[in-house]
Amino acid sequence: MKRLALASAFAALAWPAMAEDITIGFAIAKSGWMEAYDTPAATAAKIRIYEINANGGLLGRQIKWVEADTKTDRQQSAKAGLQVIDEGADMMIVSCDYDFGAPAALSAEAEGMVSFFLCAEDVKAGIQGVGPHSFSGSVLAAVQGATMAEWSHARRGARTGYVLLDTTIEYNKGICSGFDWMFPRIDGTEIVGRDTFKNDDASIASQITRIKALPDEPDVIMLCSYIPGAASAVRQIRAAGINSLILNGSAVDGSYWLDATPDLSGFAVPVQGSIYGDDPRPEVEAFNQSYEKATGARPASSYAYPGYVLLDLWAKAVERAGSLDGASVTAELERMQGEPTAFGPRTFTADLHHQNFAEMQIVEITNGKPAVADNWTISQPVPLDVLLK
Amino acid sequence: MQSQHASNRIAAYSTPVILSGLLLGLVVLVALFGDKALARTAAETLVRVVLVVSLWIFVGNSGVISFGHAGYMAIGAYCSAWLTLKPQSKALFLPDLPDWLMQAQWPVFPAAIAGGVLAAFIALVSGAAILRLSGIAASIATFAFLAIVNTVYSNWEGVTGATSSVVGLPRYVDQWVALGWAVAAILAANLYANSASGLALRATREDEVAARASGIDMYRHRLLSLVISGFFTGVSGALLGHSIGVLNPDSFYLGITFISLAMLVVGGIGSLSGAVMGVLLLSLLIELLVRAEQGVAIGATHFAIPSGSQEILIGIAMILVLIVRPNGLTAGKEFKLKPQWLRQSRMYGAKSTN
Amino acid sequence: MTNFAQLFFDATSLGGLYAMAALGIALIFGVMNLVNFAHGEYIAFCVFALIVPSTDAVAVMFLGHAPALILIPVILALGGLVAVASEYAVFRHLRRADPVAMMIASFALGFVIRNALLAAYGGRPKAISLWPGLNMPVNIAGASVPLLQLIVIVTTLLVVTGLALLLKRTRIGLEMRAAAENFTMARLLGVRANRVITGAFALSGALAAAVALIMVTQTGVADVKMGGQIMLVAFIATVLGGLGSLPGAVAAGFLVGIVSVVLQAWLPLEARPFRDAFLYTLVIVCLLLRPQGLFVPASAKPRV
Repeated sequence: MKRLALASAFAALAWPAMAEDITIGFAIAKSGWMEAYDTPAATAAKIRIYEINANGGLLGRQIKWVEADTKTDRQQSAKAGLQVIDEGADMMIVSCDYDFGAPAALSAEAEGMVSFFLCAEDVKAGIQGVGPHSFSGSVLAAVQGATMAEWSHARRGARTGYVLLDTTIEYNKGICSGFDWMFPRIDGTEIVGRDTFKNDDASIASQITRIKALPDEPDVIMLCSYIPGAASAVRQIRAAGINSLILNGSAVDGSYWLDATPDLSGFAVPVQGSIYGDDPRPEVEAFNQSYEKATGARPASSYAYPGYVLLDLWAKAVERAGSLDGASVTAELERMQGEPTAFGPRTFTADLHHQNFAEMQIVEITNGKPAVADNWTISQPVPLDVLLK
Repeated sequence: MQSQHASNRIAAYSTPVILSGLLLGLVVLVALFGDKALARTAAETLVRVVLVVSLWIFVGNSGVISFGHAGYMAIGAYCSAWLTLKPQSKALFLPDLPDWLMQAQWPVFPAAIAGGVLAAFIALVSGAAILRLSGIAASIATFAFLAIVNTVYSNWEGVTGATSSVVGLPRYVDQWVALGWAVAAILAANLYANSASGLALRATREDEVAARASGIDMYRHRLLSLVISGFFTGVSGALLGHSIGVLNPDSFYLGITFISLAMLVVGGIGSLSGAVMGVLLLSLLIELLVRAEQGVAIGATHFAIPSGSQEILIGIAMILVLIVRPNGLTAGKEFKLKPQWLRQSRMYGAKSTN
Repeated sequence: MTNFAQLFFDATSLGGLYAMAALGIALIFGVMNLVNFAHGEYIAFCVFALIVPSTDAVAVMFLGHAPALILIPVILALGGLVAVASEYAVFRHLRRADPVAMMIASFALGFVIRNALLAAYGGRPKAISLWPGLNMPVNIAGASVPLLQLIVIVTTLLVVTGLALLLKRTRIGLEMRAAAENFTMARLLGVRANRVITGAFALSGALAAAVALIMVTQTGVADVKMGGQIMLVAFIATVLGGLGSLPGAVAAGFLVGIVSVVLQAWLPLEARPFRDAFLYTLVIVCLLLRPQGLFVPASAKPRV
């Protein structure tokens, strides 16, 4: 981070006489548990800012940024939003999670300012939950669940599925709703059972007992959860001797939690890009390296990428609109159909400021080693009524 | 003696005037000199005043610690959301609402009242069972109540949206609205505390057995104070919802339970002034520390404390206050005019405390 | 239908975990009327002591490297140490304060510990591979049970028996029981308050450490929030069992765990997310029926 800050300070010094700078307001968590998710994505956004500044800036102006800490708190989030507006933000970037980002994004919306969620994957993080100028840089949770459903059937021959839902947060329900929509649509498949648990349950022994009571072990277990609950569930499922292929959403990407289940095999997640250096697209690996140069470490999970993508898309829209005005930038963003980015094409429409369709890389863990096994794009976009369910 | 009694009563009623004046002064200062973010801090603090004062109406008078008030907040907040949201958005996100509620689109003020009334009603029903217990068993039962409300609201898909947030609440709560409700809550708290029921309840707090022997029906007074408390707590929930703009059951769980109790205890659980001062001082300290985290420029140098140290320091500050003043900052005393001043005679200069 | 033996093992192992946590809370409540909300953070602290402090995503083992024979006593001692240190720094100065002030102070202390852990380790949960072999399934009475579940059950029994012996047979145990019964009277009769209280905190902290080791072996993760839920359940169990009654706390801890597992197993799918609402309704019903606690003779109602 220090290097980035220095670089931008240098950049700002280098063109002191240029027209007024463009200001991006980051109302994100710099402390509390969300910090671990917000910082990598915000860093990625800053890498893109640095690149743009180095190429002469946006509309001929340099981009600088101001930051306010939401402290992983809803009230503080609303204040952080107002604070960056007070400090002259032209566009606002808010926390990864809908709940913690929305209070700030609503303040931006009230000013008619464009706001982007760093990596929210709930359909509400956009028009439906904030307003017409709000966007998200990530791919909807339901797309991830649907991707896993179609891929596991096509490439792993999955016929029977078991749905294990962690009811703690909305993201998990989004993943499972995508799976529930896609899996039964495929011929010859069946969901043979389902169960729920909570992320902080000390033990999921009775849920596992229920899976073991099935006449046949299911081909796949769609686990809709996040770390730490997901890691704990995987450990307990494997400890009970269940060997089904376990699927999850992007939330459990990263190798940092694999110690929880040494030598794990048969576990697959969809991601927007691979952090393991084996992504088929060279731009992804190039980004990983600039990230390492800026922070001293490679990204810990694929959740850094949406930060880079959103800034890239926003800057393109500003360039095309020729202004920073919220309404004209929004109109340009909504014209993007399959807009190429380093992490795949992105589309926004007047109804949905989110990706309901995206190419995902499938990362599979084998003997404790994650690697890209495949890539998959769902055969049809997830419809809005499934997303809003 | 009659005159002493009368002047004591007048002195007791001076407390809400002093406290309201204090809050008004703060709001005016912020309006004159503050920016948007500071105005919001003021509004947020005043919503907390409503909450902690309502908590005090029950906890301060009865001496029973309640962990359940965040549950009443949730009930008030969701009720206000059901009544004020646009019917189209309810049809989309909360499809199982009954038809009359689905079509309702009330103005915000009656909706806040309705939130309070529903919370008061639930307080009556839950209190009727829970308040048969006393001491720590009652406290645990209030906690169980909170957990029940939280579990139900986190999973009742079609009615509360479950873990998915309820969105689109009009954000009308600024510092003036919050000030109005804070003054109303303070007045109500003072009126209740000085009513026959309030005095009887405080007698039970001091000595349950003696009060019972004097013919005081503890259960009835506790229930009454919980209902009044529940009303304002419900309103504070509605205000919180309409100040954030997004509702999630998670906002009304352990975090807010503990911070509101901490403000009450640090200020001094024994008095209304303590409840208000606890909120003001802790909120001020939090705001100062948050600003210190962002850094202050002194001359050419920029000083900042590391991110996340605010939480650690506020915890340490609370512990220190409790060690130095275990009965809270006000130690049970009220801000009020001295009865002597009102009587113009120093003959009965007995110091009066609550 | 679910195999009964399987259900039995699932239920008793969760119950055992709750019982141990409840015992830790009841011990301190007994000697100083303190509801210690920092207990959950003691658990989290012991878990994080296994790894090197760093905000990096990948956890590096620190104490976790040590062989079990050294690791277990070190972590237990560390738990005891944290609890004793918190008594020394905070609760000792609050002895004459109202129980409510002490409770809020314990909450503030927990808040400080949690945020200090967040600052030192970052907000991302960490993975810890501690004794993965213990999760091997074993077949007993037709049920397939992870070895760890058996160990939890046996450990709970050992800890409870050990503690019972300690309380019954040693002088400090006698003093603790006397203090739990009537602290003022015990002091008047020559019980040294500081020694008893320090002893209770040390034991309570060690119990938190034991819970921490079991949880980390079972789940394989370290998270600052991991002690919170179990602490609340333990707190409820302590009150259900009858405050101040150590066997009551253990019995109620088992009971809450068993009811929770049975509800999970028998509720229909649509009602399963509401499991905790049923559980807590039962708690209120139990309290209303037996306000003094389930495992305390009805005659124990305090006299004036």
